[in-house]
Amino acid sequence: MALLDIRALSVDLPAPGGAIHALRRVDLTVTRGTIHGLIGESGCGKTMTAMALLGLLPRGADIGAERFLFDGMALRDVASSLRGRRIALISQDPAAALNPVLTIRRQIDDVLRAHHDLPRVARDARAVELLAATGLPDPARVLRSYPHQLSGGMQQRVVIAQALATGADLLIADEPTTALDVTIGAQVLALLRRLVQERGLTILMITHDMDVVAEVCDSATVLYAGTSVEDGPMSEVLTRPRHPYTRALLAALPDAGPPGTRLAAIEGRIPPPFEAIAGCAFAPRCAAAQAECRLRPPPERQDGQHRWTCLVERGTDDQAAA
Amino acid sequence: MTKPLLEVRDLVVRYGSRGLFRGQPRPAVSGVSLSLAPGQTLGVVGESGSGKSSLLRAILRLVPSESGKVVLDGQDWLALSPRELRRARQDIGVVAQNPFLSLSPRMTIAEILAEPLLARQGLARRGLQDRAAELLSRCGLPADFLPRRARELSGGQAQRVAIARALALDPKLLVLDEPTSALDISVQAQILNFLSDLKAESGLSMLFVTHNLKVVAHISDHLVVMRNGEVLEQGTTAELMSAPRHDYTHRLFGFGMRARQTAV
Repeated sequence: MALLDIRALSVDLPAPGGAIHALRRVDLTVTRGTIHGLIGESGCGKTMTAMALLGLLPRGADIGAERFLFDGMALRDVASSLRGRRIALISQDPAAALNPVLTIRRQIDDVLRAHHDLPRVARDARAVELLAATGLPDPARVLRSYPHQLSGGMQQRVVIAQALATGADLLIADEPTTALDVTIGAQVLALLRRLVQERGLTILMITHDMDVVAEVCDSATVLYAGTSVEDGPMSEVLTRPRHPYTRALLAALPDAGPPGTRLAAIEGRIPPPFEAIAGCAFAPRCAAAQAECRLRPPPERQDGQHRWTCLVERGTDDQAAA
Repeated sequence: MTKPLLEVRDLVVRYGSRGLFRGQPRPAVSGVSLSLAPGQTLGVVGESGSGKSSLLRAILRLVPSESGKVVLDGQDWLALSPRELRRARQDIGVVAQNPFLSLSPRMTIAEILAEPLLARQGLARRGLQDRAAELLSRCGLPADFLPRRARELSGGQAQRVAIARALALDPKLLVLDEPTSALDISVQAQILNFLSDLKAESGLSMLFVTHNLKVVAHISDHLVVMRNGEVLEQGTTAELMSAPRHDYTHRLFGFGMRARQTAV
């Protein structure tokens, strides 16, 4: 059974003059012990999906779903009680996630005290062990430090240690390396991969960076305008994209062609979140779109484990049915 | 070889240390040399602490240089008096990373574009509106943007306005500091294409500073890789991409290639 099993998740936020469709229709399945990428540009609903999983949606949010399950439990009811116990968040900016006036010892200890009934000495030993597990040299010295005395990469390792201290089995990593240098980010990603292998953790990796997806993810879901448009094994999605949006996004990367050649920019812009969309959300910007694409929701297509929603691009599995 | 437009020789930048008995700190830029030929794009790539921003600030004379030489279009740049500098700075256009921070939220796009034109003087006030509209259209934006403010624009549109402002005084050199780092991938592609067009049409010379090697490799003729205040290696983009001499450069290029390798 998948750890996360989400089907047709929608989130509407109340606003003056009508609802904002923060999420329109998101399907998301995450298998235990894997790193699953959630890919998209600004405003596509990546972070809103994470907030829904953590039970942190703004007051008055209207959640709809055919299935919205974590480990078989209905997330709509239990999300806020699972937060910090079974689901933990690693945010983009570790300096903002840590309290600047408290030592690392205090900040990890707070988490351990909240979740485990252990004496002080045992908690200290556990803190050292957790910091060591994140590859920090000299954990005892790190414990005595304040956040500003650590580099960005070290701070992010401390945040990861905090997440491990909760004992959570799902980590939501929201752009965990965006604030870090490329070489430091690569080390943090390698650490996350090792933790998945050694501890059987599951990670939902939220990112706009295809290089990050390529480095660590086993599988990925592509979001566009609050809608999941493509989903499958990482190498399938990145090297044989089937949805026109995923194709366009990959073609727009600066290393998609030889240096100096024109990049394939995507014309137009994302539909505003208050707009109702009858057909495919990407149709107005899609080169392959037909008149029908704008009229009704695109059908689901499948090729083995690779799934996407598109009227035009068919899968081999769909050929017989068509 | 043609005379370089910008030449930097053995430039050293060192920030002062606080405290009487503290030793001198390590220089932020230690002995950097590079040169940019007219009509070319030079990419400077490095991570935080590499000295790329200090180098940029020293070239713009926003921080003093300890030693070394900067020659821009034949002028000894570091020797200019404040008064001469004020005039000479008009030869450099600057585009910063985040357009929403670099464009005043209180001014209209028309006012933003008029400001550098007014600073130069000699241009009739009534010509300003036309010139601003002309700058916008050169940057692919319609003239009806003029009365709007930056917040009403998307990130890509705002960055085009920032580029239009940098081009207002027909600079010889355009300095771009992480111009696409705050933008989405699809918008980044639009801006990179636009910069390529500018270069092709008007032979603009560009100094492009970024931490993103893939972005800079796409647009630059030459690359300079910096680390710890020094130039680790430099050469043509093709040379560096096909045969990076340093493991560090190799790692920067190699990041994210796992999927593409396994897929073949």
